[in-house]
Amino acid sequence: MDKIIKIWLKYYPVYLSGLWGTLWISAVTVLLGAMLGMVVALIRMSHTKVLKGITDLFVEILRGTPILLQLYFFWIALPKIVPFELSDTQCIVAALAVNASAFISEIIRAGIGAVDKGQWEAARSIGLSETHVMTRVILPQAVKNILPALCNEFIATVKGTSLASVFFVGELMTSYKTVQSATFLALQSLVIAGMIYFALNYVLSRLLRVIERRLMVSD
Amino acid sequence: MTEPILQTRNLKKNFGKLEVLKGISVDIRKGEVVSIIGPSGGGKSTFLRCLNLLEIPDEGQIFYQGQDITDKKLKITKYRQGIGMVFQHFNVFPNMTVLENVTLAPTLEKKVPAEQAKEEAMALLTRVGLADKADEYPRKLSGGQKQRLAIVRALAMKPEVMLFDEPTSALDPEMVKEVLNVIRELTRSGMTILIVTHEMGFAREVSDRVLFICDGVIKEEGTPEQIFTCPHEPETIKFLSMVL
Repeated sequence: MDKIIKIWLKYYPVYLSGLWGTLWISAVTVLLGAMLGMVVALIRMSHTKVLKGITDLFVEILRGTPILLQLYFFWIALPKIVPFELSDTQCIVAALAVNASAFISEIIRAGIGAVDKGQWEAARSIGLSETHVMTRVILPQAVKNILPALCNEFIATVKGTSLASVFFVGELMTSYKTVQSATFLALQSLVIAGMIYFALNYVLSRLLRVIERRLMVSD
Repeated sequence: MTEPILQTRNLKKNFGKLEVLKGISVDIRKGEVVSIIGPSGGGKSTFLRCLNLLEIPDEGQIFYQGQDITDKKLKITKYRQGIGMVFQHFNVFPNMTVLENVTLAPTLEKKVPAEQAKEEAMALLTRVGLADKADEYPRKLSGGQKQRLAIVRALAMKPEVMLFDEPTSALDPEMVKEVLNVIRELTRSGMTILIVTHEMGFAREVSDRVLFICDGVIKEEGTPEQIFTCPHEPETIKFLSMVL
């Protein structure tokens, strides 16, 4: 125990910078993933067969392969495809965001699907255009279903970013590796990283509860 | 007789293998009040829903003021603005205030200035006794109030035709009257109205014509007097003997 405290006192800046890395990578991942996921969800619900087929396949592949494999794939392939320089971190964030988009598109699709069918009919019956039906009537109601699940996805992403340490992109698990190789105290330095992850996700899930309760009130 | 505003010709609709509408042809004249009665599952609601294309008929035509609206090139949105619909389960928008429910479509789709839309909405809400609820959210309303709001929401688009799909079936008994009163007032205003209903007394009182729909066809039609006092078809006689 005193070793843990000693390590913490000496190396806490390393852990904090790792925590910061985890936080911003997660935030950017969920943000980009949500935007891409929205597009994917809308295409999957549309009636355009070809596009729908492509996005269905997109989601199935991302759900059906390990995330670590996807990270390697983006890390290797993305710099070869794009015409500009990409850092390792950018490749990894892109991979995480694309992966998250598959899951978020499902969340959005389910959230929209949970809105009462009568709302679609009523909105159409008063002569709203399909765009307005979606943006004014359906989506505002779907957000209530989507937001809590999206917060869960954020927690999953926070944990998922640990895989990025394979590429040393400066998140919390990378911090652990740095401290571990400096101190040779593998277990103790790992426990510290674990406690930070736990504390972070505990706070996040509490926050999620509060958000959920707020949403319930306005029902 | 005035000219027909809505006509259907041999309207058919299947859900999978189930034939729900087996060829319905009818002319609705401008200003006419038509009640549609018949047993559950007979196709009444499906017929009504076809009239504003919430269900797309598989066969047959619908003419609105002479124009075929089953034509794929027609803008459905524009057409629907002329046809108001009121549903059994109200379907008011819970994410908007009462007033916003009413002004949404006029401001978005008809580009009515916000002030004018609000004024017109308030006038309509006053007519149905909901003016004091304008800034409330629908969750605070009773079933009867929700349905009156739904009626006002449809009227705000100044439709030529109003369709009522069992407007009182989901209401507690003590609230049926307040909704029927609003509809009764509308029938006197000269609007073209179609009502699917199980309120036989009301149908008899307000209708110019009654359609008895059973097994996907119009089995019998006539004035309320004919249908309710001397029905001819055995199905009509059987149905009326069960509900009256």
